[in-house]
Amino acid sequence: MFLRSVCWSKADFLLLQVTRQAFVLQRALASCRATPSLQHPACASVNERQYRTMPTHGIGRWRHLLPKEAPKKKKDKLQMKEILAETDTAYGSLNVTVSGYDMTLVEHYSQYIHNLCNRLGIKVADSYILPTKTTEVMLMQEQGTKMFVDAVLKTHERVVQLSSLEAAACPVLLDVLLQNQPEGVELSVSEHTEAHFQARFKGRPELEGLIAQLTY
Amino acid sequence: MSAPGRRMASVTLSHFRSCFSRTAVGSAGFRHLSSTSVCRVTLQTKSGTEKPSSPWTLMAAVCLQRLPVISADCSPIEQQFRQMMQRMELEKSLLSDHELRLLEDSERISRKQADDYDSDEEENRGDQEIVLAQDLEDSWEQKLQKFQPGLRVNVCVKSSRHSGEGVRARSVPADAPLSCLADADEDLTSLERCLADPLVLVAEQQVGGDKLWLLPQTRWQEGETLRQTAERALASLPAAGLKATFLGNAPCGVYKYKLPKAARTESAVGTKVFFFKAILSDGGAPAAPSASLLWAKKSELQRYLKPAYMMKVERFVLAL
Repeated sequence: MFLRSVCWSKADFLLLQVTRQAFVLQRALASCRATPSLQHPACASVNERQYRTMPTHGIGRWRHLLPKEAPKKKKDKLQMKEILAETDTAYGSLNVTVSGYDMTLVEHYSQYIHNLCNRLGIKVADSYILPTKTTEVMLMQEQGTKMFVDAVLKTHERVVQLSSLEAAACPVLLDVLLQNQPEGVELSVSEHTEAHFQARFKGRPELEGLIAQLTY
Repeated sequence: MSAPGRRMASVTLSHFRSCFSRTAVGSAGFRHLSSTSVCRVTLQTKSGTEKPSSPWTLMAAVCLQRLPVISADCSPIEQQFRQMMQRMELEKSLLSDHELRLLEDSERISRKQADDYDSDEEENRGDQEIVLAQDLEDSWEQKLQKFQPGLRVNVCVKSSRHSGEGVRARSVPADAPLSCLADADEDLTSLERCLADPLVLVAEQQVGGDKLWLLPQTRWQEGETLRQTAERALASLPAAGLKATFLGNAPCGVYKYKLPKAARTESAVGTKVFFFKAILSDGGAPAAPSASLLWAKKSELQRYLKPAYMMKVERFVLAL
């Protein structure tokens, strides 16, 4: 403690000396202050000084207190979730597909299925949307042979993938889903295969052409 | 499952695929159901083991349900809420393309009828000027007038020759007004009744010494799974052409019946009935209404089933 007070007094003395000549050295200091941001990129701004010998050095630091974040990498290619095989008491990966023309009904029904499975303890592996298919209904004109567009129907599809459905829970779940099925909506339950997963990707004809050329 | 002996029965279900759709309503008013299920059943029996027979007789029953065909009517609160939501959504919504086009057309017409109309200033719309949006609306309106929606409650005519036990016979004169025709809802044997509720098939079968109303059941035989027994129970009914899709291999309920003390022996203590759920996919040709088959709503089941049996059945029959 004694040593510290001595230090302080020395520093005080030095400071006094500096301030006396401050007005002379002001121009020099101004030029010095322009550069520190390059030399101390971590914390110093143009208006801050480091005071590294002082105990209060780095008093305003806070970024080191935050939890470490993983470095943000670019979006990975969509990995296929593991397809479970069936056992004696449970089904494997099942796809519950909801499709229809009315998007609100289809979406609400698929959300209902997802929430119901969560509540019943059935594990939902994935829930994704397949691309919309547009159908044009063409009618023959009354006079003449030309067809004209009467209506444009869009078929929406939502898929809820269940990872393992117990055999005892299956009739219960299916009964509830069927009783609550809205009109105009189609429900389909099928096994999930790799082909289903690959069907979600768009084809790349030029890549396939190049590969064919390489292997040819 | 108290199957007698140390039999090992392993069932593996492969390629389970079923497709249920409510879009196409067939002529009989059924939900279109298609299912392809390949059920591979492998039964391995250990040779040389003794099979101590259990005192319980096993039976399997099928709970065949016809799902509702149309949605139920809304209760008054639901109707009010629906109207309120529709009004709110309408007020918050933006104009659609068609409505914008209507406004543009009416503006253009009013401009044309003004005195200082200069057709050169008009942007050329092309076929929008030939077929106005209002004309399209009128043609759509006409098409809507021609559309006849189906009846929510089926109406069937009962002739005087009909006098089955399960059917209320009413003689209807040939020139009776529409209000005289019988409502299909009251005909318990008809499959078209109560389109908004799920119906369960109840049959009158001989059990022990008496005829009882219960879900169609039959006795389990050696060498088959309980689900196959239930399918057999369905096939053995007098009504032909009832095609059903069974929802899974696991039973949904069980009913235990102990014989009265006088009838109990060492080898026959009672019966256990396992219930399997199935959904009707096709009613087949409308068979002659037989007295022993009924389609009942959950609220009507109580009239036909015995109380103890009813207690077990109502646990798994859903009437949502």
